[in-house]
Amino acid sequence: MAVNVKIGLIGALDMLKFKNMAKVREQAIKAAPAKEITADYAINNSARALHPDFQELIVDKVIDHGSAGAKTFLMRSKDGGPLAYFRAGQYLSLKLKIGESSLSRPYSISSSPKDALNGVVSVTVRANPGGFAAGYMLDELKEGDEVLSSGPQGNFYYEELRDCKNVVALAGGSGITPFLSMAQAIADGTEDFDLTILVGSRTKDQILFGDELDFIADKCDKVHVVHVLSDEEAEGFEHGFITAELIKKYAKEPYSVFVCGPEAMYSFLKGELDKLGLPRKNIRCEMLGVTKKIAEAEGFPADAKGKEFNIKVIQGTREYDIKASSEEPILVAVERAGITAPSRCRSGECGWCRSKVLSGTYFAPPENENRRWADVRWDYIHPCATFPTSDMVIEVPAEYTPKKSIQCL
Amino acid sequence: MGKKYDIVVVGAGNAGLSAALHCAVEGKKVLLIEQHNLPGGCATSFRRGRFEFEPSLHELCDIGSAEDPAEIRQMMMDYGVEVDWHEVPDCFRIISKYSDGTPMDVSMPFGIDNFIDKMEYYVPGSRAKMEEYFDLLREIMAGTAYISESNGHADSNVLKERFPNLLRTGAYPVSKVWKAMNMPQKCCDIMSTYWGYLGVDMDHMAFIHYCNMFMKYVSRAAYIPAHTSHEISNAMVERLRELGGDIWYNCRAEEFLFDGDTLCGVRTSCGEVSCDYALANINPDIIYAKMMPKELIPEREKKLSAARGHNYSARMITVYVGLNKTAEELGIKDYCIFFADTSDSTKEYKNILGGYETNNFNIFLCNNIVNPDCSPAGTSMGFFTSMGSREEWSDLSPEDYTAFKNKYAKKFIRTLKERAGIDIEPYIEEICVASPWTFARYLGVPEGAVYGYETSDWDAMMARMMMLDADYPIKGLRPIGAAGPRGDGYSSAYVCGRLMARLAIRDLKEEGR
Repeated sequence: MAVNVKIGLIGALDMLKFKNMAKVREQAIKAAPAKEITADYAINNSARALHPDFQELIVDKVIDHGSAGAKTFLMRSKDGGPLAYFRAGQYLSLKLKIGESSLSRPYSISSSPKDALNGVVSVTVRANPGGFAAGYMLDELKEGDEVLSSGPQGNFYYEELRDCKNVVALAGGSGITPFLSMAQAIADGTEDFDLTILVGSRTKDQILFGDELDFIADKCDKVHVVHVLSDEEAEGFEHGFITAELIKKYAKEPYSVFVCGPEAMYSFLKGELDKLGLPRKNIRCEMLGVTKKIAEAEGFPADAKGKEFNIKVIQGTREYDIKASSEEPILVAVERAGITAPSRCRSGECGWCRSKVLSGTYFAPPENENRRWADVRWDYIHPCATFPTSDMVIEVPAEYTPKKSIQCL
Repeated sequence: MGKKYDIVVVGAGNAGLSAALHCAVEGKKVLLIEQHNLPGGCATSFRRGRFEFEPSLHELCDIGSAEDPAEIRQMMMDYGVEVDWHEVPDCFRIISKYSDGTPMDVSMPFGIDNFIDKMEYYVPGSRAKMEEYFDLLREIMAGTAYISESNGHADSNVLKERFPNLLRTGAYPVSKVWKAMNMPQKCCDIMSTYWGYLGVDMDHMAFIHYCNMFMKYVSRAAYIPAHTSHEISNAMVERLRELGGDIWYNCRAEEFLFDGDTLCGVRTSCGEVSCDYALANINPDIIYAKMMPKELIPEREKKLSAARGHNYSARMITVYVGLNKTAEELGIKDYCIFFADTSDSTKEYKNILGGYETNNFNIFLCNNIVNPDCSPAGTSMGFFTSMGSREEWSDLSPEDYTAFKNKYAKKFIRTLKERAGIDIEPYIEEICVASPWTFARYLGVPEGAVYGYETSDWDAMMARMMMLDADYPIKGLRPIGAAGPRGDGYSSAYVCGRLMARLAIRDLKEEGR
């Protein structure tokens, strides 16, 4: 190391100044007024408004879609203020307390982002056989009820920097809801792209939001709606399933494809989309949840089929011993035990339920595998899309609620 | 009150992780609480489609080789944390203009001799001056190391004897020292490139702070982890668990609790925890304004806050891109390219603070150049970083938010195409734009300013280090992190966390607790 080398004209710089640095700083501090310290920042307030921890809602109106077998819940903010603005296509995770279970369900927002600024948001729930939460929503939830929701979530939206200006939406069942939101956003000028919606229904009278979609398509030349009926032939309607040929018939090149619908539709569409030869970036699928038939999944250990395991759940300083089926996601067992656990997408994608495995084995289906590299490395799981294959000990974080979160001490 | 810990660390960002680990290594019973469900603060990762993005780390300058570890690699080894470090190939490429307005496209290598050689190539006749300069930097490095080790009590005789040039240059900004040395302007222009990493221009950045970082990069090269900075953070958490420390996610500190004038616990969203000491990875203004009794805040702390006047450093804008072509196919050869309108950092900083219209600054990096396998076969990924002004992000409505941040993204993508001939636009499979709002949301830092208070002029790092015991004199509570004495950056935060943990342990010992 060089000691005391004379370097150019540096010698002219003042050594005393270094010694005085602390003094100068102290003087600067002393010279300032002893004001009350504040910590209120516009940027942070905006961020919080856009991404709230939760939103407290009240059901304002329930619309029964009759033969379409669905209901739309129009909700407003409890405090009357604006709700979080969102990107058309995003979802809300609703927190529900059904019997002893505390659980969540993701529902695509069917209203326009502009409505949120007026404190209004709506989701649509369709009956599905054996659907635990859907059954509760359709049968029990009524006007005036309070609902706790997350902020807007998810990445299923049009992105000008990535997607083609022409989007072909493929919808089935309640999968129409994100596209209804997109159509409204295009019509009211929030979004700017050309949307062709191919919507599959069994029969004419089972079409969900038919009138609303036709109304938007009539007045807005960027929104086009094509109804595809599988079980009925009618004039002005396509018949059969949504096929590659049908997509080509209506798509304007170049185009991106957005898909949202039930599990069966995804399985069918996979082959059809392959025929189109589109680059991967031009196909975007909304999350599907987790398959109901995990025991048939490739890679699922045969000896774990139909088993029940014991799971110790650690949350803060509390511990719970629960039972869990090998054929249900771990999150479901946790919720059934009445433990308030974080969750949002319930498809393995968002990672909100991220938990630590302390012991035991599990199966995470590859189609839902969305963990970070270092989480796989150190045995963190997304319990919403992970199945136990032995007894386990896991650490599950707490979840915020407006009532100061849970007490895990 | 609930469970008793020796030390509660609030916030599992880089400083918090380091502080918690140091306490645990020293045998303290530690609880680390984190408001998110992930550790690391900005040292994390996120998934989009088939990509896992690095959100913030450009390169760490304090790693050094396995055979000759530098401070951070050594610290991780001391903690028992293993990380798969990969070396970055070069210092940087910068495409800009020299301060005389002539075009500049310069690539600088690591290694002092290589750096001097390359500088001679770009600025003929600069060799002697550059050699002299690196001698000076060696002395400054040794001097600052001495001061750091003294925990704010450096002996002025030792300084005068062994590090006189540190004393001479220590109180001056970078540009003044270069001028005093008669450093050729073009050398200054090239060596200013890293200014954005500290977020203060060369007329206000303390020479010793800047040259410390500069020297570390040039002499010890730079590294990134193989699997994003989430690898570092997760590895640190794992080690903390092994050492008996607890970590609670989704747990927010709400209030610091006191017995008389001494901290005795933390009220969190998960309940109350009692402890002897708290290290808070939180901006001090937020602690004082919202998290503790007003009557315990000393007059001087109010003055310190007022003197700083919310003078925060850079508010970041970052754009993450997952591309469906390889780096080679796209013609990307450099890990890191700096784009600027001028290498005059004072002018450039002013342009940035002028907002979108005048801000043409960005840094583009491509992770695959260092880690070819960091994204799936046939793809590549990277991110752009720039800074924004307080005003443009404060006055923005939610309806205009996406369009405004995308405007920045388009500008960065255009700059990459026009100035480096790299066209990524048709190949974007995933894209995500983070703004000061995003950083405010995830880090809770004021205005999304990740670097804390500007380390400039009277409030420079060295002056803060000299007054470690004068600032934040709350018994049993110390703030750590970017707003702390060491300023911003991964290395600084890790070092700050350890330093503050050492002081906490010292305080407890002195108070006989």
